[in-house]
Amino acid sequence: MTSGDAAPELDPVIHAQARLRVMVTLSALGEGDEIAFPSLKDLLGMTAGNLSVHLTKLEEAGYVRITKTHRGRTPVTYVSMTTRGRLALEDYTKAIRSLLDSAGGNP
Amino acid sequence: MTDDGERASSPEETLRLIERQRAATVKALNGDPLLLYTPWGVAWLLGFGAFFLHYGLHGVPYAPITWQLALGILLAAQLVAGAFMATGLVRLSSAIRGESSAKGMMYGYAWFVGMVLMTVINIRFSSMLPPEERGLMWSGVSLLVVAVLYMACGALYTQWPMFFMGVWVAAVNGLGVILGPGWHALLTAVLLGGGQIVTGILLRRRA
Repeated sequence: MTSGDAAPELDPVIHAQARLRVMVTLSALGEGDEIAFPSLKDLLGMTAGNLSVHLTKLEEAGYVRITKTHRGRTPVTYVSMTTRGRLALEDYTKAIRSLLDSAGGNP
Repeated sequence: MTDDGERASSPEETLRLIERQRAATVKALNGDPLLLYTPWGVAWLLGFGAFFLHYGLHGVPYAPITWQLALGILLAAQLVAGAFMATGLVRLSSAIRGESSAKGMMYGYAWFVGMVLMTVINIRFSSMLPPEERGLMWSGVSLLVVAVLYMACGALYTQWPMFFMGVWVAAVNGLGVILGPGWHALLTAVLLGGGQIVTGILLRRRA
């Protein structure tokens, strides 16, 4: 980023449109809630492959938790946001806001 | 960025993206307000409308509708409304698990327990009332349960429209019980039935 004076660092894991959308979607769930992978995929309108790649990145960063389990005989994958992920998204949003303010742009 | 996650561009655009995504998610997770409110509105409009025609405002029926027929219309319409709501809830409950699904389950049982208790109380006491007051006792007490659980739902999911709908049901129900069976049926049909239909349409439009 080259936004001039002491621009806040933007978390590179979140600062990619697709992963930002994943993070925002997960943050809208209640705390302690998990969403099934296919539902998340539909909410985001992503392909399963694409979403998997981004989730892996977010999991590596410790922002999301992926739980593989079974419902009856069918395997189901649930995704939830970790506390660390919530904090990271909060920081990211704050950083974006302060960028906007320091740019002196229209709110 | 080296991967396929294209960078979100300007801060303005990024903020807009966050807002848009959050709104879309909340909307998807809350279910369609049109399915949540409007079928109940239609059920009450038809059911209590039939009761109103049965009672009349001055003790003289406006149409040859027996109370059994009116009750049948109300119950059948409520069954349809419940089915609409259940399809939405089942879809949601397969998507989300965790604390909110536990909340949802307890809330669902609260309806069941409330309605069972309402039935027990009404069966015990309505036989002691003069026949023309019995129906009012049934609808008054059942709407008490509905009002309280709507407000509880608003509190549980921080949904102001649902909370105010509960307050509205309580107020109209109270007024109707004071005014008597004919008025109660009329007010419930028009203000609560109509109110739910309008609320569902307005919330859907706004979303």
